Amino acid sequence: MNASGFSKMNELFDIFRLLGFQFFQNALLGGTIAALACAWVGLFLILRKEAMIGDGIAHTAFGGIALGLLLGVNPILTALLVSILAVLGISYMRRRGLAQSDSAIAVMLAVGFSTGLIIISLAGGFNVELFSFLFGSILTIDQTDLIIVSILGISTILILGIFYKELLSITFDEEGARLIGIPVRPLSLAFNLLVAITIVLSIKVIGVILVVALLVLPGLSALQLNLSFKGTTLVAIGIGIVSMITGILLSAVYNVATSGVIVFTAAGIFLFIAIYRKLE
Amino acid sequence: MLDNTQSGVMTEKTPVLEVSDLSVARSNSLVIEDANFTIHQGDYVGIVGPNGGGKTTLLLALLNIIPRTKGSIRLFGQDIESFSNWEKVAYVPQDAVNFDPHFPLSVRELVALGRVNRSNLGRTLKQKDWEAVDEALEFMGISDIANRRIGQLSGGQKQRVFVAKALVRKPEIILLDEPIVGVDAGTQEKFYKKLSDLNVAKGITILLVTHDLTAVFCRMSKVMCMNRLVNVAEITEQLEPAEFLRKAYGEHFHIVFHKHECERVFEDE
Repeated sequence: MNASGFSKMNELFDIFRLLGFQFFQNALLGGTIAALACAWVGLFLILRKEAMIGDGIAHTAFGGIALGLLLGVNPILTALLVSILAVLGISYMRRRGLAQSDSAIAVMLAVGFSTGLIIISLAGGFNVELFSFLFGSILTIDQTDLIIVSILGISTILILGIFYKELLSITFDEEGARLIGIPVRPLSLAFNLLVAITIVLSIKVIGVILVVALLVLPGLSALQLNLSFKGTTLVAIGIGIVSMITGILLSAVYNVATSGVIVFTAAGIFLFIAIYRKLE
Repeated sequence: MLDNTQSGVMTEKTPVLEVSDLSVARSNSLVIEDANFTIHQGDYVGIVGPNGGGKTTLLLALLNIIPRTKGSIRLFGQDIESFSNWEKVAYVPQDAVNFDPHFPLSVRELVALGRVNRSNLGRTLKQKDWEAVDEALEFMGISDIANRRIGQLSGGQKQRVFVAKALVRKPEIILLDEPIVGVDAGTQEKFYKKLSDLNVAKGITILLVTHDLTAVFCRMSKVMCMNRLVNVAEITEQLEPAEFLRKAYGEHFHIVFHKHECERVFEDE
């Protein structure tokens, strides 16, 4: 490593100095909002046995990102539009009996991703930008991105907070919830839209490929602790945020891909809890 | 219908459920045919009959979950099609206890779900809701396991928890579909005792699908035996259980039932 490399490393080691940078503050704030929303939505997804819908919508969003880049519009917004269409498409296929849940997700995943590939080939490729959406580029979140992520994230968290007990009731016993007059279908659709929004707001943070990890790993880790629902939710959110912040700091220190380190941290926590429970 | 209360004054009992000419078909086959009966406030009704006799179908029809082929159902004097006060009705389904044991829910949280309904949509549970939860837990004798995970409960505890969940809504009628399958006789007895307390202490009308004929004839006020056709009778000294049950179980059905069986049941308490 040359002298400038050492100097850069020294600079990165100074976490307090890093915190003074706008780009780093944006990354931490955007990442925390995304982690919170992902962990909460993800826990419901795991309990509804629909974790793969996260992966499906994320890949479908890829088509929306390509469309945004082609049209010169903010790709997060086009990804949001395409993801919402994907959710509505999956719901329609289920309701009409055209496909079971997993098959409907597979169809949307394939259609969305192939749309993205066609747009890329037609546009002659926009590799660097696209790469940042596929694998995330949290340190390049600008003020506009942060505003979009904040609005989407806080809206998601508020709606989850407001309909928390109804969503829990539907997740535990859908038929029973329907019987006591809870509007199951509208709330399930609203929840799936929240999944789409959460995924889209996380794309810039962690990327299309790895967003499912941010959805699933915190919830899976918390579930191993045999807590109440409230306890499991709080621990899942805590693990999501800790993974996010640790991942950002470690990736800055060691100069490696942030999304990879975030997922690695979350996976490490999952493994630690699994081993701890086994030895207990 | 007249009821002889403890004071000796004859009072008229209020009809809770009035069923007229009810027929229900499932998979193009008639499961309930021309049922006519009335359930009054405070009745404790045991619904018995052979497997496939339409017991679960009847409960689902009474809850308006499945459509009727013909006939009418009136709940609390109102036609079921326009009935909206479902807070008065609680239902414990047959498979309620067959939940995912890894679902992260404490007993208290599960019982609190019973307070969730259309009228408090989007609002957090209030102090009075949590007081109702604690009251239901106490009544069912499960306050000590309030913070336990539902996956860690025994069969008998699960049943009590689900009755508490139904009870927390402060219903006026509870429908239970075989809630005590797969538990030992002692636990079953305790469970029936709790239901009797519920019926007597809170005046809640209970409809219970069961195969436990001793519990029905010892504890309940009415018996409904069904095998497509529905027969209802008051449980009195004059009622001959074997003869009545043959209407659903067939001519070859035999049951030897002595009054002292009930005495044994109550002595055990």
